[in-house]
Amino acid sequence: MEFIYIAIIAGLLLLAFLLYKELRRTNKARITWRILASIIAVGCFVLLIVPIKYETNVQQNADEIILLTAGTNPDSVAKLKEKKYTLPFVDLKKVKATTINDLSYFLKSNPTIHKLKIYGYGLNATELKNLKGYQIGFHASAKPTGIIAANWLTRLKSSETLIVQGTYQNMGNETVKLLLKGFGKAVDSITIGAKTNKSFSFKTSPKHIGNAVYELIALHKKDTLSKEPVPVQVGDQEPMKVLILASFPDFEYKFLKNWLYENHYPLAFRSQISKNKYASDFLNMDSLNLNQINTSSLKKFDMLIIDEDELAALNSNERASIDIMVKNGMGLLIRVASTKPSTPLSALFARYESPVLKGKTLNLMLTENRFKFNPLPLEQTLFLKTNQNDLPLITDATGKTLVNSNIKGYGKVLISTVSSTYNWLLSGKKTDYATYWSKLLANAARKKNDSQSVNILPQFPAVHQKTRIIADLAASEKLPILKIDQVKLSPRQNMELPFQWDAFYWPQKTGWVDLQVNQNIEPLYIYRKTDWQALKNQQMLNDTQQFVKNSANVNNKSQVNNVVIEEEISIWWFFAGFLISAAFLWYESRILAT
Amino acid sequence: MLKTEGQNWIRNLRIRWISLNLISTLVTALAISLVITTIGSHLMLLPYWLFAILFPIILCTLLLNKPVWKTTDRDVSRYVNHQYPELEESADLLLQNEADLSMLQKLQRHKIENIIPNLSKPKEPFKKLYMGLAVLALALIISFGFSKIHLIKNINAADPAIKPITPVIKEHIPPEIADFTATITPPAYTGKTGRKQKQFTISAETGAQINWKIETNIGIKKLKLIFNDKEMVLLKPANTAHTLWNHSKTITKSGFYQLELDGKKSDLYQIEVIPDLPVNIKITQPKQHTTIDIGQPQKFNLNVSLTDDYGVHDAFISATMASGKGEGVSFTEKKLSFNTSFDNRKNLSLHKLIDLKSLGMKPGDELYFFIKAMDNHGQSSRSDVYFVSIVDTTELMSLAGMTNGVNLVPEYFRSERQIIIDTEKLLKEQSALPVTTFKTRSNDLGIDQKLLRLRYGQFLGEENENEIGGDHDDHDEHAAHKGEGEKFGDVTAIMDKYAHKHDIAEDATFFEPEMKAQLKAVLTEMWNAELRLRTYKPQEALPYEYKALRLLKDLQQKSRAYVAKTTVKTAALKPEKRLSGELDKIMQPVQKLTFEQKEKRIANLKTALALLESRKTGKNFAEKDRYLLSETEKYMIGAAADNPNTYLNALSSLRKLATGNKLIVKDIDLVEKAIVNMINVEGAKPQTQGAGTASALYQNYFNNLIKVNR
Repeated sequence: MEFIYIAIIAGLLLLAFLLYKELRRTNKARITWRILASIIAVGCFVLLIVPIKYETNVQQNADEIILLTAGTNPDSVAKLKEKKYTLPFVDLKKVKATTINDLSYFLKSNPTIHKLKIYGYGLNATELKNLKGYQIGFHASAKPTGIIAANWLTRLKSSETLIVQGTYQNMGNETVKLLLKGFGKAVDSITIGAKTNKSFSFKTSPKHIGNAVYELIALHKKDTLSKEPVPVQVGDQEPMKVLILASFPDFEYKFLKNWLYENHYPLAFRSQISKNKYASDFLNMDSLNLNQINTSSLKKFDMLIIDEDELAALNSNERASIDIMVKNGMGLLIRVASTKPSTPLSALFARYESPVLKGKTLNLMLTENRFKFNPLPLEQTLFLKTNQNDLPLITDATGKTLVNSNIKGYGKVLISTVSSTYNWLLSGKKTDYATYWSKLLANAARKKNDSQSVNILPQFPAVHQKTRIIADLAASEKLPILKIDQVKLSPRQNMELPFQWDAFYWPQKTGWVDLQVNQNIEPLYIYRKTDWQALKNQQMLNDTQQFVKNSANVNNKSQVNNVVIEEEISIWWFFAGFLISAAFLWYESRILAT
Repeated sequence: MLKTEGQNWIRNLRIRWISLNLISTLVTALAISLVITTIGSHLMLLPYWLFAILFPIILCTLLLNKPVWKTTDRDVSRYVNHQYPELEESADLLLQNEADLSMLQKLQRHKIENIIPNLSKPKEPFKKLYMGLAVLALALIISFGFSKIHLIKNINAADPAIKPITPVIKEHIPPEIADFTATITPPAYTGKTGRKQKQFTISAETGAQINWKIETNIGIKKLKLIFNDKEMVLLKPANTAHTLWNHSKTITKSGFYQLELDGKKSDLYQIEVIPDLPVNIKITQPKQHTTIDIGQPQKFNLNVSLTDDYGVHDAFISATMASGKGEGVSFTEKKLSFNTSFDNRKNLSLHKLIDLKSLGMKPGDELYFFIKAMDNHGQSSRSDVYFVSIVDTTELMSLAGMTNGVNLVPEYFRSERQIIIDTEKLLKEQSALPVTTFKTRSNDLGIDQKLLRLRYGQFLGEENENEIGGDHDDHDEHAAHKGEGEKFGDVTAIMDKYAHKHDIAEDATFFEPEMKAQLKAVLTEMWNAELRLRTYKPQEALPYEYKALRLLKDLQQKSRAYVAKTTVKTAALKPEKRLSGELDKIMQPVQKLTFEQKEKRIANLKTALALLESRKTGKNFAEKDRYLLSETEKYMIGAAADNPNTYLNALSSLRKLATGNKLIVKDIDLVEKAIVNMINVEGAKPQTQGAGTASALYQNYFNNLIKVNR
């Protein structure tokens, strides 16, 4: 404001000086014109600095407002004469609109408003919640170009594969190359044609331990269209404890034992020498008495591998304790070699024999992702029947089941008819062997209960945006400690689920932050506001459209009112005036005067 | 003074003349300079801006040589007089002042002034211009041709033998170094001469001697060469001013090195070793397994091609003969030479005819051989083992195989043998027999062979000619049976009448497919034998007969199971005594082991990756991170010593990162990429799955569900 007055005063001073000079001028020809020109020039000059506003009346529905949200196309709203409103942080170029700081407050304070015309990508779910009962007209912008859906596991265990899946919406006329980049190297890529929606699934095995950020980069030739961070945290884990009970030592056990041993898995191995005489190995763990199997000894293990003969040879007490422990979550893998089940546990699965051609190899396959193993030089005749409740894990190429699984209480029972997988190790196919046994053991072994789990809302917590942290705790009695980077949060208990607590946080900086729940510290990635923009926009678009669809058609009679709108006169007029009068003054003094 | 029309015309002509001439000169100058530049730049490797100098010089020369602009009106009028007889030699009059002219001249002038506008413009200057343009076109073609020739030469130069070994790499050289040369002397066996290069990056043959000659612009107290970050060599100055340094070293392994000038370290430079590969041996003839049948010459051709990168020094055949059978097998080894000089040639193709008889091989013997070659560096290589065997006919004729075990089809085998015996007998008696008898007997044998073939055809379920002694003669037989009287009520008879029965389906599947294939091969051989016998060439038929017999023998062996007699007699078991031994003295062995991870390399590298990632976000390295970085550097030095090509850049980037405080994402990317390369592919490991939080509520829910189910 003050600046305006200064400008006006300065302008007046300048005018006075000019008029004085004009009057003192010897050449009195055209003096009126000159004075007039001076006044216009100075006046226009001042008005260049001080804008002139005037008020006009516009016909507008009193109960309706126009709300411009992000992504509004300026051309589409340029023709609208009515007063426009917008929300904070919405960057509208060239379009003038009044900013509403809090939409729900605004609507409450203007109870006459019943109708909203929303332009752009719309509002998000929480904002839409406040608009219930209002009549909404949604003029959606064109769909955004970019990744509109993406998901991956942010926390991996070492040696697990990172799978990034999602959808890319390409509205442009050019093909786009989408690639996943990590550790300075593009690891996977896909090409997306013009005007298509394509889903992608990138795979890579992260080599790091700790935190790292991969990037999803959309490229058109050399131009980078977008660059979205994919934070991944890889951690080590406490290895599972395995117990092997063998009726006789064979190569399969020997190789499995060595492999687990070399991979640092705690392992106990017991094989029978004679009646009630056993040889036992305790690898990577303390020794214990394994001559009698009971619940207390089994409690120390996550996984029991046993052959059917040995299972049959155990006494009923031992078998009962195995049964109890499986029901409590222990994994059980039974190796069978004959068609007749000899124990009730192994009788869960029916078997059959199928003749095979001589000299044919066994081609195993993972049912989960149809991963094909290298062939084993075996003539397999024993197969498993599958039940409705079973989950087959390994089949051969023709689909006959070789490893089957079923749930028993908390635990899982696996049965396998594959007798010698060590042939893979002998022929140097180490990865096949590792994949096979990892799959089997991971599937069966006792699942580890986390002491807590944390959910973050929204999916991509961004800096300076409200983030909700939901923690599920094992113990519900005590108020948990929630901290982010040493900032203590105040958790709130869920009304229905007493073990669930949540807290709100407004992240202050991007990148990895430490989220502490009780004693446990986990890293959490805070995105930049611009990350995953296309995805967020698409979500808002979908939400708003859904909301409009769901909201009942309330049709209020609209009344037309006069609404006062402030308009500004374009400064170009003043500039033209200034230019013309200054030009006249110059022309007069240079040419007409001579 | 207003000019007359004639004067104007002449003036115009003059301007045209001059301008066209000038353009033509310009074009010519352009053409000449273009050709010279092309030749100069392609042959003498002069720079292209030579053109900018040449062109003005040539243009000036040409212009001075022929100063066109000096053409006056008078010259033009002279030319016009000469060119146009209509002007009657009076063009000069137009140029003179009208007042000075006599009456007659005025008249004449008036006359030609009327003529002049109707005259066509002279063609002469245009001709010159066209000439100039033609020269330019020619020059363009020539220069284009030159650039192409250069390209062709380049293609020739791309030949690896001619191509310089060290590619040009941009290097950072310490400013103290004024001049340096590295002289590479390849070892003698390569037959290459030494070469000099002004580049620190070295690529040399295994065992090459490298001599560095370094000249510094200021006196330096200490100059060190550090190889692979371990081996330090302190150089001795060659002069008192401490500016000239010399060092020689024989390299056998790839790696890298750097200079240290008074404690200031230079960049890392890589040393790449070009290894000498052993001789590549390729046997084109014979096949890996060759059988020489009876009747075929007992010799074979051996064709080998040998290639080496520097030269083959020697090659020979190592042959082993196996004779006898069963326990009486004896082996004799022989070294056969190729009887040619090798002269350290790079490519050789050798031939040798090996006569098995001269090696002392008899029917039934086998020859195993391989070729061993040595290159001029003393590295030897050998080929696969090849087998050549001579079929033993006496073995085939023996009845030893028949006397024991199962014999499925014995009589047929005797027949084939009989045919062979008969054929040999016929051949022996050939000279004594008249031609017609010989032919009939040969033909008869052919018929026997055919019958035999048909019998075997039965096994394969061959349709036609399946009755011996006559053709199936189509299916009119059904009609012929009519006379026999009909059996009423016999269903099978009625069915037979209408059915078209060929053979029984089971016959067709009597043998395994593999056996069938072999049987078919037998039939083919029999076909061939029959053809020869029927065309009275029993001598030629003999090898086919033998082969058929051999295949039949194999078949026979295949369908036999052999169980040897045993004489062992075990004592009868006493069931009451079984499993009743005393076990108290049996120990229960307990083994306890813990796997010690000796190498923390992988774990460290993995953590280093995460550390670099955090550095990317702008965090500086902490003190404890420095230790990890130095460990990573150690690993990378090891990797770079083996593969300087892949890891050297990453190593220098890592050093830059460790010392500098500036964040350069490109360097981090490079290091990360190298570390990912260094961590080999890992197999999967069994991982415990998570099961969410174990809230008491969930547990209760589960327990109650179980209770309800019971």
